Amino acid sequence: MAEGAMPQEMGQAPVVERLRAILPQVQWEFVPTPNDPAIVVRREDLPHLMQTLKEHPDLAFDYLRCLSGVDHIDQLEVVYHLRSFRHGHTLAVKVPVPLEDPHVPTMSHLWQAANWHERETHEMFGIVFDGHPDLRPLLLEEGLGYHPLRKSHPLAEIEEWQEEFLEREEALVAAAAPPGARAEEDERAKKIALAQKKAEVMKRAREEARAKGLSGEEERRYVQEAVRRFEAELGQEVAPKEAPAPKAAPADRAAKIALAQKKAEVIKRAREEARAKGLSGEEERRYIQEALRRLEQEGG
Amino acid sequence: MALQQEHELETIDLHINVGPQHPATHGVFRMILTVDGEKVVDCDPVIGYMHRGAEKLSENCDYRQAIGYQDRTEYLAQFNAEWTYCLAVEKLLGLQVPERAEYIRVILGELNRVASHLMFMGAFGTDVGFFGTPFMYAFREREVIQDFFEAVTGERMMYNYFRPGGVAWDVPDDFEEHCRYVIDHVRRGVEELDALMTDNEVFLARCRGLSPVTPEEAINWGFSGPMLRACGIKHDLRRAEPYSIYDRFDFEIPTGTQGDVYDRYLVRMEEMRQSLRIVEQALRQMPKQGPVMAEGLKRTIRVPPGEVYSRTESPRGEYGVYLVSKGGDKPWRLKIRSAAFCNLSALKNLVVGNYVADAIIILGSIDIVLCEVDR
Repeated sequence: MAEGAMPQEMGQAPVVERLRAILPQVQWEFVPTPNDPAIVVRREDLPHLMQTLKEHPDLAFDYLRCLSGVDHIDQLEVVYHLRSFRHGHTLAVKVPVPLEDPHVPTMSHLWQAANWHERETHEMFGIVFDGHPDLRPLLLEEGLGYHPLRKSHPLAEIEEWQEEFLEREEALVAAAAPPGARAEEDERAKKIALAQKKAEVMKRAREEARAKGLSGEEERRYVQEAVRRFEAELGQEVAPKEAPAPKAAPADRAAKIALAQKKAEVIKRAREEARAKGLSGEEERRYIQEALRRLEQEGG
Repeated sequence: MALQQEHELETIDLHINVGPQHPATHGVFRMILTVDGEKVVDCDPVIGYMHRGAEKLSENCDYRQAIGYQDRTEYLAQFNAEWTYCLAVEKLLGLQVPERAEYIRVILGELNRVASHLMFMGAFGTDVGFFGTPFMYAFREREVIQDFFEAVTGERMMYNYFRPGGVAWDVPDDFEEHCRYVIDHVRRGVEELDALMTDNEVFLARCRGLSPVTPEEAINWGFSGPMLRACGIKHDLRRAEPYSIYDRFDFEIPTGTQGDVYDRYLVRMEEMRQSLRIVEQALRQMPKQGPVMAEGLKRTIRVPPGEVYSRTESPRGEYGVYLVSKGGDKPWRLKIRSAAFCNLSALKNLVVGNYVADAIIILGSIDIVLCEVDR
């Protein structure tokens, strides 16, 4: 193919020159990269620029090959890598996006390929693509509450946090458990219950934060605050409540067993009676329930 | 009019949930099909079950360690993925890869393409309804290639063999012999597979004319690789934007005419033959001696600030790595442009209007690798 014969370096300059001739009013900054010429443009110019890049016959960038988000800490950036099948030239368009207002107009109406890329960039960086038909999370679960590819979401710290979390959890369980043989058996169940409760607290806090319209960072802090409060409460509440439990347990247990046996007997008798009367299945069920209710009333 | 109304039954659309644990989805992939009778009227693909954050993980390890994540991302064409990443680092470093290493890369990369396409043939045959036979045929040949890779790299799957600047170590002494054996063996196998599948009546009936795609649509949807070439566009990055030493080889770029499922299959079948041709040429031209690693590379690679989007023609299409460096020994940002991800994003367009049973074939014809899609 003819286009393949042209070395990359030779093919770069004409694109930018051509673009300058076609769109003299748009300002940009040229960035050389080893493969593609790249331009940094302002967000306001983006819709018009992209439309022209795609539709002008001398540019004809009909192929969106890649769309990436980049977190530069002080600002975000969206990078579009374009290619033209007609002319064989390439271009990278870079758009800086301020952190406090992470909005970019969508390009999915020009290139359908942008659809999933934008969904992914939205969930990973928290960049909102205005006008996108369907910005649901793509790779992550819904309602995650943070944007993992942001630099403010470090990898190492999570692991540390997890370790801390487990240690704290174990300490709490150890404090709450009654002394004695049953402590070990119950430890696991308690841990699970505690983790579930905690997850609930986190979920609620996240929803509250969402409702308040907090940013990702603020939301994270809000959730952490809620968890801390929860743990403080737990530390006070659990210890005195569980302490007298072990002594009462054996008697309690025997009574429970006796009650259950009595109930089983009542059910059995009621069923036999119902069968003898020739009741239907539904009626039989009701008859048994009635018998149980009577038993409870007697017991109460 | 009244008569017609009387006979019109009220129907409702059914939702069918395919996957995520389903043999026909080639991994953990889920699609929610809305069907009206036997026809698909809507399709909502759900991905992300294999998302492991390879991009984020790569940002947190140095340039050599990040190679491993490429293997695990594209686990059917590991060499091609490693290659793309190494090219990106080399571009930023301005490294020149030694001749011998380039040839080793081409040979392994092309054989990897054959292995990946064989995997496609086997799995696709099962999708269409061949059950075991093509799968076993394809895997018999694929095993020969796997053994060859194992002899060279010491690994069966996660090779970690391409490094920025060259390859990790020189190939074994019997490399050439072993490679010729592989070529002969696989070539015969490909012909057998071709005879078994291509003209099979059932295969033709099920695949020909199914979900055709026009060239304009394919470009707009971001297709690449065999999916794009099946539509009749003669676009191959090895030709259009030659990287490495691909300008030295003589090979054809097979294209289709309809862009239907059958063309996608034919393109892949022909690509295997062309890849074997390239391997033969590379074996002939390869220098017998010489270094396989660029000189003067420190143990810790420090890449100067800059950015590059490197791309190669992987078996599934354009595999790209967008690498941003701010100096230092870790990538600042490493975005993986997965070919299967882009091809899969148009699944709804491909599937809607077809029968449910055909939806499985169409999905199979995209040749997805879920680890690559989800990254």
